[in-house]
Amino acid sequence: MVWLRKITGMLATLLLVSMLTFFVLYLIPGDPALLILGTEADEQALDLVRSQLGLDRPLVSQFAGWLGGVIQGDFGESITFSRGYSVASLIANALPVTIPLALMAMVLSMLVAIPLGILLASRQGGRLDTIVLTLSQAGLSVPAFWLGILMIQYFAVDLGWFPAGDMPRWSSNPSGALVSLVLPSMVLALPRAAILIRIVRTAMLETLGEDYIRTARGKGVREFAVHTRHALKNAMISISTIAGIQLVQLLAGTVIVEQVFSLPGLGRLMLSAVLMRDLPLVQGTVFIGAALIFLVNFFLDIFYTILDPRIRGVGQNG
Amino acid sequence: MSKFLMLSALILTLMLTGCAGTPTENGLVVAIPTDPEGFHPHQSVAAASAEIAFNIYEGLVKAAPNGEIVPALATAWDISPDGLTYTFTLREGVKFHNSREMTPDDVVYCLERLFDSDVTAKARDFTTVESIEVQNKKIVIQLERPNSVFLALLTEFGAGIYPPEAEEQLSSQPVGTGPYVLTTWEPNNELVLTKFEQYWQEDLPKLNQVRLKIIPEPATAVNSLLSGSVNLIPRLEADYLHQVEDTELKIIDSPMNLVQLMAINNSVEPFDDLRVRQALNYAINREEIIEGAAWGRGTAIGSNLSPAMATWYKDQTSTYPYNPEKARELLAEAGYPNGFSATLHLPAPYPLHRSAGEIIANQLTEVGINLDLEVIEWGTWLEQINTNREYELTVVGLTGRLDPHTILNRYQSDSGRNISYFSSPEYDDLLEQGAIESDPDLRQEIYGELQTILAREASNVYIMDPSQLAVMSPDIEGWNNYPVYVLDLAPLDRAR
Repeated sequence: MVWLRKITGMLATLLLVSMLTFFVLYLIPGDPALLILGTEADEQALDLVRSQLGLDRPLVSQFAGWLGGVIQGDFGESITFSRGYSVASLIANALPVTIPLALMAMVLSMLVAIPLGILLASRQGGRLDTIVLTLSQAGLSVPAFWLGILMIQYFAVDLGWFPAGDMPRWSSNPSGALVSLVLPSMVLALPRAAILIRIVRTAMLETLGEDYIRTARGKGVREFAVHTRHALKNAMISISTIAGIQLVQLLAGTVIVEQVFSLPGLGRLMLSAVLMRDLPLVQGTVFIGAALIFLVNFFLDIFYTILDPRIRGVGQNG
Repeated sequence: MSKFLMLSALILTLMLTGCAGTPTENGLVVAIPTDPEGFHPHQSVAAASAEIAFNIYEGLVKAAPNGEIVPALATAWDISPDGLTYTFTLREGVKFHNSREMTPDDVVYCLERLFDSDVTAKARDFTTVESIEVQNKKIVIQLERPNSVFLALLTEFGAGIYPPEAEEQLSSQPVGTGPYVLTTWEPNNELVLTKFEQYWQEDLPKLNQVRLKIIPEPATAVNSLLSGSVNLIPRLEADYLHQVEDTELKIIDSPMNLVQLMAINNSVEPFDDLRVRQALNYAINREEIIEGAAWGRGTAIGSNLSPAMATWYKDQTSTYPYNPEKARELLAEAGYPNGFSATLHLPAPYPLHRSAGEIIANQLTEVGINLDLEVIEWGTWLEQINTNREYELTVVGLTGRLDPHTILNRYQSDSGRNISYFSSPEYDDLLEQGAIESDPDLRQEIYGELQTILAREASNVYIMDPSQLAVMSPDIEGWNNYPVYVLDLAPLDRAR
C-alpha cells in the first residue's frame, strides 16, 4: 500500500512538472522559429518554419500529442539538433556523462567529509576544528564557475595533468573518460563536502552524547571503535539524508560545471534546449531529471530501512 | 583511509595511461561554440550550419576569399545581354559523397525546390526566377526581370546540390559534393569531418580528418587551445585575446563583414526627430568603443556596410564625427536642452555588444542622455526587438552577405527585417534600380548612394566591423578569410 501510494504520487507529480514546464516555456518570450532564423527572419519565413516544426498547432493539442508519445515511450524529436535526432537518443547520450559525474562528486565529497567530520567531532573546539570549519565556509562560498576555470588553468594548461574538457566516449576510451571527469567532479564535490563535514560533525557530537555510547565506553570499547562502529552507524541516518539531497542536487545541478568543462551531459543539454526554446527537448530533459530524482529518493527510502530497522515500523504505520 | 589511498592510486594510474585525446594523426581539432542546426540546404538557416556546410555542399558557383564569385560545380556561365538568361556549363565527373555521379537533373531538382516558396523560406530571394531546364547538358535559368544579385545568391548554402535520393536524411546525414564528408555528429559534443577521397579537386582537402569540438564556454576553448587539445579557434572573443597574445599561437586578424550598430527605432519619440538621431551619432566616440569593447580590433564604420565589401564600400565615417558640443546643440534645437532618458536593450550572449552598450551609455551621459541598460536573453531579443520591434535602442551585429543588395534591402520601408523602421522613398527607389542594374560601375554608384542615405539620415548609429580573430597552433597553414560566414577547412594543413 505504502509503495503503491508513493508510485501514484510520483506519477502525478511528473505529470504536473511536465505541464508546468510546457506552459511556462510557452509563456516566456522567444520562439524556436525565430531563434532558428535569427536576425534574418521575416514573417513569411517564420510561418514556413513554424509549420515545419508543428508549432502552428493549438497549444493544448501540442501538449496532448507530446503526452501521448511519452506514454508510448516516445519523447518526440528535437527541433534544434536538426530534425533527425530523437529526444530519447539525445538524453541517452547525456546520461552516461551526468550520472557518473554526480556519483563521482558524491563519493569524493563523502570520502573527504566523513573522516574529517569524525575527526572534528572528537576534537570539538580545538584548533583543527576552527581551521576546518573556517575553510569549509570558504569552500561553500567559492562559485563553481570560477573554481572550474581556475582548475582548468592550473591542472590542464600549466601542469597538463588533466584534459581541459574533452571527454571521449566510455566505449572508446574508458580511462580517458574517467580522467576527464576528475576535475569537474572535484569542483562539484567541494561545496558539498563543506556542508557534509558540518553535518557529520554535528551528528557525531549528538550521538556521542547518548547513553549507549557511555555504556560502550564503560564496557571498555576502544575509542576508535566507539566512534566508527557505534556512533557513526547511528549518525549515518542524518548524514545519508543530506547526502541524498546532495545527490539529487548534483543530478540536476551540473549545468554550470558541464558548461565550463564542455561535457556533453544532461545539464548542458537542458540549458541549450531552454535557450533555443526546443520544447520537446526541454520537456524530455525535465521529465527524465524529475524521474531520476524520484528514483534516488526511492532508493534512499529503502536504504534507510536497511540502515535503521526502527524506520520500517514507522513507514508501515504512517 | 585506505579507500582514499586506493582511489588516489587509481586516478594517478589513469592519468599516466589514458591521458587526454591527442589530435589524430594528420587531423585537426577546431573549437566551435554551438551545434549547427541541421544540414538540409533548404531547411537550415543558422549561421552555425552554413559555416560548416561550406565544406560539405557546393553550388554551381561559390565565393572566393576576396569576395569574387568563382566556378564550383559549373565550370563556366554565360549571362545574356538582357540579363534574363543564365547558362551554366556543368563540371564533368563530379561525385556525390554516396559515390554516384552528379547529373544535370540533380541540379535542376535541387534548384527547383530552392525556388519554390512552399518548400523553403529561402525562396523569397528567388522570386524573379521564371524557369529552369536542361539544354545540351547545360543548366539554363530564365528570369522574369533582371536580378543582379542572382549569381551571388547561388553561392549560398541553400543553393548546395545534393542527390535527390538523400532528401530525407540530409538534416542529420548530409550528402553533397564537397571536400569533406560528415561522418559523426554527436550533438552537444562534436562533429567529425572526413576527407572525401573522390573530391573533384584532386589536391584537396589537405587533411584526413577535422574534428569540430563544441565548446560553449570561451574560457574553456582558449584553455583547450593553450593545452593543445584544440588546434584552432576560428572566432575568438576579443575579451580573451590577452590570454593568447604572448604565446606561440598564430593570431590572424581580418575584417568579418559584420555591421555592429546601435539600432534606433526611428518610429518612436524622441527618435523620430532627425536631430535627435544626429545628436546620438555626434555624441558617440567610435574609436573609444573599438578600444574598450573590442580591444582595438575593429574598423569604424558610418553606414550599414563593412569595409570588407571592398568593391561596394563607401566610407561614411566623416558624416558625423565625434562632437559632443554639436550633439548638445542639436538636442537643444529638438527641444531637449536637458537631454532625456531612454532604454537600451543589450543581447546577453554577446559580450561585444554588451560592452559596447555600456560604453555608449557612459558617453551619452555627457550630452545629458540617460540610458537604462537592460540585458535580455537572445530568445527574448529576437522576439521583442527583431520581430515585434518594441524598443527604443539596442546594440547588435548584422551579418554580411556576398552582395550589398541582400544586406541593404533590410532598410526598404516595408521590409520585415527593417528593425529601425527606417523609411525613405528615395532609398526604396534606388534599391529597386540596384536590383535590375547590370552595369557594375552603375551598381557601385547606386549602392554607394544607398550607404550615404543611411548615414545622412542618421538611421542608426553604425559602430564598427569587429575583426574576426582566428587563433591557431603555429603549424597550421592555409587559413583563408572570407567576407561571408564560412569556415574553409579544405586548404588547411599542418606543417611537417
